[in-house]
Amino acid sequence: MNESVKRSVRTWAAVALAAFLLWSAFVVVAETEMVILTRFGRPTRVLREAGLYPKWPFESALRFDRRVSIYDPRPSEFLTRDKKNLVVDSAVCWRIDDPLLFLETVGDQVGAELRLHDIVWAALAAALGQVALEDLVAVDPDRVQVAAVVGGVREKAAAAAAERLGIEVVDVQLKRVNFPEQNKQSVFARMRAERDRIAKEYRAQGREMAIGIQAEADKQREVILAEAYEKAETLRGQGDAEAARIYGEAYARDPRFYRFVRTLESYRKILDQDTTLILSSDSELLRLLEQGQP
Amino acid sequence: MRDRGRLMHDRRPRRWQAARALIAGRRFRLRSVVALAALVWMVWGLYFVRADQRAVVLRLGRVAGAPVGPGVHWTWPPPVGEVVKIRARETRRLTVGFAAPDQVLGREAMPAQAEFLTGDRNIIAIGLVAQYAIKDPVAYLFRFGDVEALLRGTVESALSAIVMRRGVDSLLTTEKVAVQQEVHALAQETVERYAAGVSILGVSLESVAPPEAVREAFNDVASAREDRDRIVREAQSYANEVLPVARGDAERLLRQSEGYLRSRTTRAAGDAARFGSLAAEYAKVPRETSTRLYLEAMEEILPRMDKTIVESDAGAIDLDFVRRLSSPP
Repeated sequence: MNESVKRSVRTWAAVALAAFLLWSAFVVVAETEMVILTRFGRPTRVLREAGLYPKWPFESALRFDRRVSIYDPRPSEFLTRDKKNLVVDSAVCWRIDDPLLFLETVGDQVGAELRLHDIVWAALAAALGQVALEDLVAVDPDRVQVAAVVGGVREKAAAAAAERLGIEVVDVQLKRVNFPEQNKQSVFARMRAERDRIAKEYRAQGREMAIGIQAEADKQREVILAEAYEKAETLRGQGDAEAARIYGEAYARDPRFYRFVRTLESYRKILDQDTTLILSSDSELLRLLEQGQP
Repeated sequence: MRDRGRLMHDRRPRRWQAARALIAGRRFRLRSVVALAALVWMVWGLYFVRADQRAVVLRLGRVAGAPVGPGVHWTWPPPVGEVVKIRARETRRLTVGFAAPDQVLGREAMPAQAEFLTGDRNIIAIGLVAQYAIKDPVAYLFRFGDVEALLRGTVESALSAIVMRRGVDSLLTTEKVAVQQEVHALAQETVERYAAGVSILGVSLESVAPPEAVREAFNDVASAREDRDRIVREAQSYANEVLPVARGDAERLLRQSEGYLRSRTTRAAGDAARFGSLAAEYAKVPRETSTRLYLEAMEEILPRMDKTIVESDAGAIDLDFVRRLSSPP
């Protein structure tokens, strides 16, 4: 009984040992990884492609992420050639290119980010220090050299990282360029002043145009009325002249009779109730009163 | 040894037979258990891909074949094989300049988050939404660690670059559509260069506005423009009123004067005609006509007046006496 139990235990143990040995004789490298095989701490082989590989059981596998990581450092302040302060928010796309070198110099992701920060910061400071603000920010698109600046930074950082850290810098993204917080207030003040100026200009423009239009209208009105007045007076004058001519013609036929009729008419107008008339009894009018017959 | 074995064999024949039978039985059970486990393990390799999904199959760590479409498939079960499924049809969105309600920010949200520098050294606040979809699942899954962060950085860089080339006025008014198109084009070009397996479907500017601190001043410019137009309109309507009124007055003046001319000449003609006929009558019977006219006039005039008749040879006339006589008692 003991023997059979011992034998079955031994069998199971043998099976387990065989399985363990089998299992530790292979390593699976995932698509997202690269693996360095180490023998008692000393690197022996680098496995770059995914798949199943044989290894010695006493070898262990150090795994590294093969994918491109995004390192997003906090925004930093830089100085341009013309002494303008800019806050730049960048992002670095990087991946491990040479795992052995990476292992020697950096070791892990946190370490990589620290070292990258310095490299990229230096490259950015150098590149930005060589351009003026108007080379980055200008309304004329030909003037702006942002792409060239970024390209330069990328190349410089890539070279340094590859040589020193075994890292490939895929890209450096210039996500945001802005003024520092303390400068923003003065920028806002300037913007406000500029807008006020533009607003004043608009309003003044309006007043100027309005006055012009009104003055023009008034002037035209005066011209119209003056011309009309001139024509009217001419017509009136013509009327008066024509009437005078007609009267003259008519009265010229018998001037004495006209004088007679006209005098009678003026008596009608002149002699009113306030007049006191003293008549002589031998006036022609009153002759009949005395004489009594024609 | 042999002795001992023979002795054992001799001593416990039934026990040995029983033990052998037990082991044989156990081995049989072992075999069947192992066979069953193997079967279950193989069945574990079946997997189901929905209509909106794609599956990437890995075998021994390596990608095996093209992404698999909808349906029921089989591959080597773990640890030999692995199936990674993603929602391939889904349109995903990311925001720049503001936080979508479903997003978790890496850093604190600030109004400065939306502030961009413009080409004329002003600051503008922009909120943008980009939509993207997965084109190549293998690249999406295995080439980049955080594709969303990569895309957000790409779109933000494109937006920055394009805003830094334009003035704040054009950005606020006429250039919105152009900016959207340019950001889309630039970001898409970069994404293709990265070969990240995604494609940007569209970019839209959700909000473009002056920063809070200067918004009032910007609004005032818009009202100033309106004021200007309004003042000009008012002046023009004044002009539109004044001139017709003036022309009307001018017309009236002319008509009046024409009327005057006509009436004056007509009246003159009338007076002349009347005088003419009277004169003709006088020419025929002068004494009668003149007498009649004279008396008619006297009849009209004399009743109105105070009259006093005095003797022709009265001599001097006492006007006081006359006045006393004619005034009422």
